[in-house]
Amino acid sequence: MTRLTRRALLGTIGAAAAASTLPATPIFAADRSIRHYWWGNPERDKRTFAVIDTFQKKNAGIAVSGETIGWGDYWTKMATQTAGRNMADLVQMDYRFLFEYVHRGALKPLDEFVGKSLMIADFDKGPLDGGKVDGKLYALNIGSNSQVMVHNTRAFKEAGIDADLINWTWDDFGKVCEKITAKSGGKMKGSDDLSLMIETFESWVRQNGREFYGPEGKVTATAEDVASWWQMWADLRKAGVVRDKNKTVILDPPIAESGIAVGDTAMSHYWSNQMVGIQAVAKDKIGAAMVPHKAGGKPGQFIKPSMFLSLSRDAKDTEAAIAYMNAWVNDPEISGILGLERGIPCSPKVRAALTPKLTEVEKLSVDYFTAIQSKVGPLPLPAPKGAGEVRDAFMRIGTDVVLGKAEVAEAAGMFIEDAQTIVERAQ
Amino acid sequence: MKRFFARNAPAYVFLLPWLIGFFLLALGPILASLYLSFTRYDMVSAPRWIGWGNYEYMFTRDRRFWKALEVTFTYVALAVPARLIMALGVAMLLDKGLRTIGLYRAIFYLPSLLGASIAIAILWRQLFAADGVVNQVLAMVGIQGASWITDPDTSLYTLVVLAMWQFGSPMLIFLAGLRGIPRDLYEAAEIDGTPRWRQFTRITLPLLAPVIFFNLVLQTIDSFKTFSSAFIISNGTGAPADSLLFYTVYLFNEAFKFFRMGYASALAWFLLVIIATFTAIAFFTSKYWVHYENERD
Amino acid sequence: MKTSATDLELAIQMDEAARVAHELRLKRDRRERNGRILKHMFLIIVSCVMLYPLFWLLASSFKPENEIFGSLTLWPSEFQFENYTKGWYALPMSFTVFYVNSAIVTGLSVIGNLVSCSFAAYAFARLNFTGRSFFFALMMMTLMIPYHVVLIPQYVQFLNLGWVDTYLPLVVPRFLASDAFFIFLMVQFFRQLPRELDEAAMIDGCSPFKIYWAIILPLSLPAMGTAAIFSLIWVWEDFLAPLIYLNDIKSYTVPLALRLFLDQEGQSAYGQMFAMSVLSLVPVVIFFVLFQKLIVRGIATSGMK
Repeated sequence: MTRLTRRALLGTIGAAAAASTLPATPIFAADRSIRHYWWGNPERDKRTFAVIDTFQKKNAGIAVSGETIGWGDYWTKMATQTAGRNMADLVQMDYRFLFEYVHRGALKPLDEFVGKSLMIADFDKGPLDGGKVDGKLYALNIGSNSQVMVHNTRAFKEAGIDADLINWTWDDFGKVCEKITAKSGGKMKGSDDLSLMIETFESWVRQNGREFYGPEGKVTATAEDVASWWQMWADLRKAGVVRDKNKTVILDPPIAESGIAVGDTAMSHYWSNQMVGIQAVAKDKIGAAMVPHKAGGKPGQFIKPSMFLSLSRDAKDTEAAIAYMNAWVNDPEISGILGLERGIPCSPKVRAALTPKLTEVEKLSVDYFTAIQSKVGPLPLPAPKGAGEVRDAFMRIGTDVVLGKAEVAEAAGMFIEDAQTIVERAQ
Repeated sequence: MKRFFARNAPAYVFLLPWLIGFFLLALGPILASLYLSFTRYDMVSAPRWIGWGNYEYMFTRDRRFWKALEVTFTYVALAVPARLIMALGVAMLLDKGLRTIGLYRAIFYLPSLLGASIAIAILWRQLFAADGVVNQVLAMVGIQGASWITDPDTSLYTLVVLAMWQFGSPMLIFLAGLRGIPRDLYEAAEIDGTPRWRQFTRITLPLLAPVIFFNLVLQTIDSFKTFSSAFIISNGTGAPADSLLFYTVYLFNEAFKFFRMGYASALAWFLLVIIATFTAIAFFTSKYWVHYENERD
Repeated sequence: MKTSATDLELAIQMDEAARVAHELRLKRDRRERNGRILKHMFLIIVSCVMLYPLFWLLASSFKPENEIFGSLTLWPSEFQFENYTKGWYALPMSFTVFYVNSAIVTGLSVIGNLVSCSFAAYAFARLNFTGRSFFFALMMMTLMIPYHVVLIPQYVQFLNLGWVDTYLPLVVPRFLASDAFFIFLMVQFFRQLPRELDEAAMIDGCSPFKIYWAIILPLSLPAMGTAAIFSLIWVWEDFLAPLIYLNDIKSYTVPLALRLFLDQEGQSAYGQMFAMSVLSLVPVVIFFVLFQKLIVRGIATSGMK
């Protein structure tokens, strides 16, 4: 009996072991190998695997293993691999998380390679500096973006709107919302309700002459900033010119559910590299406007790196990893494959090479980028630890305001208090 | 000694795979998480011992912890009975006499197959939206429905409905249990003229008790640990306004979003204590209402 | 005479009894027919409610991208079959690869679960041994702990074993009865079988394994069928473990592949994702239909007792 069970067990485990090795066989025997991990979508994955193929053809000795998953699951897996000290050699980074990972010691600085194996001397300095933490370069910009008010050009034309969408103010914005709502008889509202979008609120704070987070990572936005922001949207809601409150409190809805994609509203706030994705689901042609300005205020919007490539603490063959990184931003064939999918490249040479081949939407985002250059403020410092939690708190407390279950002033005070506590606890 | 061996050897041979799995694979991580619950651990730098600090913070300063408990307990209290009654009722309807039973069984199980997929999240948001299908149906009978899923006062109930709708697995287990009840018992009762409800209380319930017990314990444990549906429907945040902040959603966010694995482990161990208490109560009282065939007399 | 009178009386009484019984039966039949109709009506209504979401999913899988969210009507304005044809090849690997991977993992896991869990369950339910309650409590505890906090220690453990990026972390634990749910389920069913069976077999000189194999298992087909169905469905749909342990896209399972379609922040392909989701249900449904027969059969029809 014992024999029988053991044999059965060993047999099956053996089969499992045999099966498990099946997919793990490498494509071809290269003596060096690196792993590249990114978040993606079908389009981006196709392009990235094509890049890997191209790179491997040109560098026969280096095998690159591409590892990908959607944004939502990316960070869970990343955290697990970080804890296990098994991070991929190269990881895709986001501005929101850069500070967290650098300060916990998960990334290696790139400075020692710059000018030797990483050639970035002629790159735009501003976007490049977005990858610096405490004066060291921890993340290589592989595309820039900026806030954008995506709008429905058909609705704008029909409502006869001729506002200067680069220099307009919040007052103009309110009037546009009214016009569009009136024109469509209420079927299409002027805009999504951005009460809960901390990204847009950040521009609002900067227009008031402050940063959301000060130099020491403290919350420097004030309760008045928050209250005035929520009040403005409360007024627009009351006037019935922004999207229904019940659609607003769904947090971070996928692009396909946004007002502009569904056709409920004529404007939404996004990042400029998302415009291709929005156009893919929107029925009408989209256009790009800046976040409205405060009359007489400071510039609120900024240009930031949309994605980075970072060298992880666990990278073994750093030389191969840097070679790959360098090819990403310099090799014309590779940057041709990548296009603008991850954002606007910060190498002027690459941009020039891409220009003749752009699609209509891509051209829109490049033109928009050129138009806003002189209107934006400096890049804010990377968000401190706990910023993700502050973002959640903003949405949570704001939800009560949107639903009319909390007073604006009181909720604003509560949020600032909560935000300070969160940031302190995270240090 | 020899007798001890002779008595126990067969059992331990059968238990061997489990023993290996438990002691070599499962126990280590469990103990590790217990250790981590007494540390501050951000998953990148090494864990730092802080004694009871996490537990202290949890009970004295963490408002969201209490909110998470409230949400979870409310859900358990509603979803477990609702789901079990639904499952038992349908299982009994399906157990007897219908030729098309296989078709129904498949149909009723289908929703459970969809699990907590992204498709379900999108669908649920559409169904229970202010202008959703549910309200359209309600409007036909003259009821003005709320915006169920975005209103913090009602959003939890949409998850209870989801739990009721996915009653496939307890139903299947009930069915398997009902199949184990000998038909002749019912036939004899029928001849004696025992009314149906009496047959239910005298035959079905007592003989099904072990399976009811299983479903009760398992559904309670599962409901306390509800994660995927709440996570995916609330976009991972417990929104709107923390009304879907299930305990495990909170725990997950603390661990993987806010890098507080130590604190999350403490949360997990407290949840374990709660669940273990409920399970122990269930096992303890089961002596009085669950009788097994092999333990008669 | 007296006796024949009683005989007659008895005969009349018997006749009467037969008549009453016949009437009762007729009444019962009528009641049952009415009951059946009511039951069917009820079940059909419930079925519609149960099936609506499935129709919705099916309809969505044919819809153009912007119609999935924008419109509440079930019927697509135009059928986009290419959601299926394109979706199959939309990712760097075709779905054929993902299906094969899923089949390997699921097949092995189901076998592992059934064998190892029924072993453990047999020990817990039918054998007396020192430490039974203690081990049973430990086993129940593994059911209660929230999975997410053991994720990282477990990852580190499998990493040290060199198992990450293979199927071993997904398959081996299942051969070691890691899923206590199934043990508990089988225990509850095994305990329902009469004690006399083992005792009689034991007297006949059967080994515990013979009893397990020739008596307990055949009599527990409904339970084993249930376990097989659950096991298959859960492993097939399992997402978290493959996410953590599989790195190479060539080894991804179907649920993992489905997540590659979506990008919260950018371009998603919902139509294709829905189409592939519908297809991913097909094997599970087929398996369900085949295996539910096991549940239907069982003690009741096997003439036991």
